Amino acid sequence: MPSALSNPLRLGLRQERVIPPQCLVIFGASGDLTHRKLIPALFELYLQRRIPSEFAIVGCARRAWTDQEFNARMKAKLANQISGNEKEWEQFSNYLFYEPVDLQQNDHVVRLSKRLNEIDKLQATHGNKTFYLSVSPNFYASGCKALKAARLIDDPKKSRVVIEKPFGRDYSSAKKLNRIVQSCADESQIYRIDHYLGKETVQNILVMRFANTIFEPIWNRNYISSVQITSSETVGVEDRAGYYESSGALRDMLQNHLTQMLAVTAMEPPGKFEPEAIRNEKAKVLQASKLADEDEPWNCCIRGQYAEGGNSLKRLKGYRDEDGVNLNSTTETYIATKVFIDNWRWQGVPFYLRTGKRLPKRLGEIVLTFKDVPVHLFESTIINPSPNQLILRIQPNEGATFKFEVKSPGSGMKSRPVEMEFSYDESFGEPSDEGYVRLLADAMLSDPTLFTRSDEVEAAWKLYTPLIELMENAPWKLPIYKYESMTWGPPESDQLLSKDNIFWRRP
Amino acid sequence: MKPQLTLQAPLELPYQEISNYLNQLWISEDEDSSGANTFTLMIWQPAWLEQCLVQSGLINGPITGTLSPEIIKVAKNLIIQKGLSRTCSINSQELLTLLKGDLTNKDYEDFRGQFFESSISTLNPRRLITLAPTLNKESEIKTFVSAYCPLSDNTVKQPICGDLVVIRGDSNSINKKGLKIINELSIKDLPTWLWWNGSLDESSEIFDYFTNHGIRLIIDTANGSPKRCLEILNQSINLNKAINDLNWVRLKSWRESLAMIFDPPSRRPVLEHITDIDIDIAGGNFLQALFLISWISDKLEWVFSKIDNNEGFIKIEFKRNNGEKILTSINHLPLGNPSIHSGQVIGLRLISKISEVQKNNTCVILGCESVECMRLEAGGMADMQLIEQVVPNTFSSSESDVSKLLGSSRGNTSPLFENAIKVSLEIFKSFNK
Repeated sequence: MPSALSNPLRLGLRQERVIPPQCLVIFGASGDLTHRKLIPALFELYLQRRIPSEFAIVGCARRAWTDQEFNARMKAKLANQISGNEKEWEQFSNYLFYEPVDLQQNDHVVRLSKRLNEIDKLQATHGNKTFYLSVSPNFYASGCKALKAARLIDDPKKSRVVIEKPFGRDYSSAKKLNRIVQSCADESQIYRIDHYLGKETVQNILVMRFANTIFEPIWNRNYISSVQITSSETVGVEDRAGYYESSGALRDMLQNHLTQMLAVTAMEPPGKFEPEAIRNEKAKVLQASKLADEDEPWNCCIRGQYAEGGNSLKRLKGYRDEDGVNLNSTTETYIATKVFIDNWRWQGVPFYLRTGKRLPKRLGEIVLTFKDVPVHLFESTIINPSPNQLILRIQPNEGATFKFEVKSPGSGMKSRPVEMEFSYDESFGEPSDEGYVRLLADAMLSDPTLFTRSDEVEAAWKLYTPLIELMENAPWKLPIYKYESMTWGPPESDQLLSKDNIFWRRP
Repeated sequence: MKPQLTLQAPLELPYQEISNYLNQLWISEDEDSSGANTFTLMIWQPAWLEQCLVQSGLINGPITGTLSPEIIKVAKNLIIQKGLSRTCSINSQELLTLLKGDLTNKDYEDFRGQFFESSISTLNPRRLITLAPTLNKESEIKTFVSAYCPLSDNTVKQPICGDLVVIRGDSNSINKKGLKIINELSIKDLPTWLWWNGSLDESSEIFDYFTNHGIRLIIDTANGSPKRCLEILNQSINLNKAINDLNWVRLKSWRESLAMIFDPPSRRPVLEHITDIDIDIAGGNFLQALFLISWISDKLEWVFSKIDNNEGFIKIEFKRNNGEKILTSINHLPLGNPSIHSGQVIGLRLISKISEVQKNNTCVILGCESVECMRLEAGGMADMQLIEQVVPNTFSSSESDVSKLLGSSRGNTSPLFENAIKVSLEIFKSFNK
């Protein structure tokens, strides 16, 4: 449990980078993401005194709100966060502006451009702008074109475009979208956001691997027998059925969040801690990744859909009974797959990735299972000695666990597994920032390290192309298995591993 | 990082013409290659030790203004040869006074202002102005100018260029003539920093000129008398002018290490029961230790109550909200091979008592090396719960510290430092009572 009392000696000690004066323009400002993630993240940055005085946030959406209405709506939505910080919110709200804009209407964008010039003068933001496209993915291309036409992103040093996921629906659409976006702006101006990379624990994988000598020598096929990457949610589709029906677990989670975790776990050490060096290594490892059986992909992937479940006190609906979901929907809410990486480090090591909704726990973790000892000298208190495991917990209870064998107390010489723990809460005692806090600050600082580059996105889509093609052309070969809500997915997903004599870790 | 040198020898011009020349230089370039839109950095660069050693023939020139390992080695040998105390720092006035007695009239090349660390050049200063006072007290003012475009590791479409100006002469002529052009050389709309890379006890007229002209200051309070240093800090705080101190910057690893010990929530109660803090320093300048104690007391909301300065051992007493006393002490330790910065913290011991039973109490020891940790363990500290850590005093060069400051500063005084200065001033007021 984090302590309510923060470390007084720690206060003010962290040297955070200074965000330069600028105007952040959010398209889709009436949407959920703006009040759930973006404005809270910006307010958090303000509370951390990282927002310069020369700053502006311009909300843009089709609704005909005024500055005051936008301000009032944000205040109402953020009531919990504002509580206790009312004075700070009053000051922060001076940065909030609103302009009704339909990105498809040229005259709207021209009007926006004029308004931005006025705000630039008023707030002294030095012409520095970050555009955040929190709109439907269908509008990414036209949005970029509109910004280009209005000459709002002409200066690569003073303008940036942040694009939310999903970036494309498959390899060819991602490639096409990349071409359009790159024709509007320089690649250095494009920030494709994946909020998993903003998580402290995901970044910590890089530090653990490359700031210690003990891990890197054994971080390869000689010592590691398999890797499991899990991201599970307890919630169902909630009010996102419209989006989720056309997306599913593969496009919503596997292709981006889980694949980024795979890249960070498996990449080679970069020569320098510099954005391009890191992104080069991530791209290389994704380009070397392939499904375990590309010719017959149904052998290495299991799809599932949650059915009803819960208990007598709280019954949970099945996916097809949710509001807005087609009664015959074949959208997967669970997916598990097996991937190999064709390079010297990882040849032959299976990477199992799984994600799903309505699973028993909300968690993200990476489990590296080490090879068995060559000879078992000692009898185990359980049937067999367990292999060593390093478990990196992304969320919740962030930290790491190392599992190894010790002598079981007593007169015999039996072994039993024990765990060595590192917990963020116990070591640091303070919660880490939300991913969006880090990523918004990085984008405004023009630091692309934690954003995905065009080749990474394309490689990630290419990896799953055989599955996507199968789902579209021969879906019966990749059937949807039902699983009871609040269980760890369909039993068939266990068989995906048991064929290799491996089991999913039960967290 | 290796120092960088301008590719072209700077052009010597009469000081009255410098400003005009630079204006013309940038106007004549095409629009795209205008200078960097960053900051102006002025450096007071006396390099007295280097000048003395070159003029005495103890090292070969040219003078660069960079404190090279050779200079440090020769100066340390001299301290022994001249019979000075082994605890004497190479920046001490004693050593300089001795050296100044042995000067010859040897000619030497002076490249000050043409060498600068790549850690600074990568920040692309728009203008670097070096004030290079000479040992010769009758040296007329000479001014040099050059443009430079640092090479970058990253591919950039257009090099980001700046210019540099060197104003060389004796202190008097710099004061009378050199300062006249400083104002003209400041670039409107860009911040200007002064790095005073010398003792704060010297050339006060020149220093005061800068403090009175709204220039952001970088000083090193390890190089100056505590009284003068605190006067300068007090003045800057009162006038709300940005000031940064390399002596405070060098405390960073001590502050971070101490904070790190109390990051685990299970250890936080220890902070509420601190009874004693002892700080060991090497050399006579106690300011850095005073800043460290002031920072701790400010963060833990202690109130200063009294000071006892007895034979070089300083004891400072604070009180907690509940009236409990905290005794702190600063102890000078004679070291045979002292740091080039006088008065650096080498050890800290913090005792927290919650019980009469020793083993329930806690002792935190931070030492710059294991020997210092062992020294602080004496007196039965091991009977308590002992938390020890080695905080190596591996100093980076002053240039590198300056570059970090320039790269991260928001143009104001660090709030932590400002608060520590306020407490230090309060303590120092009682120092001489």
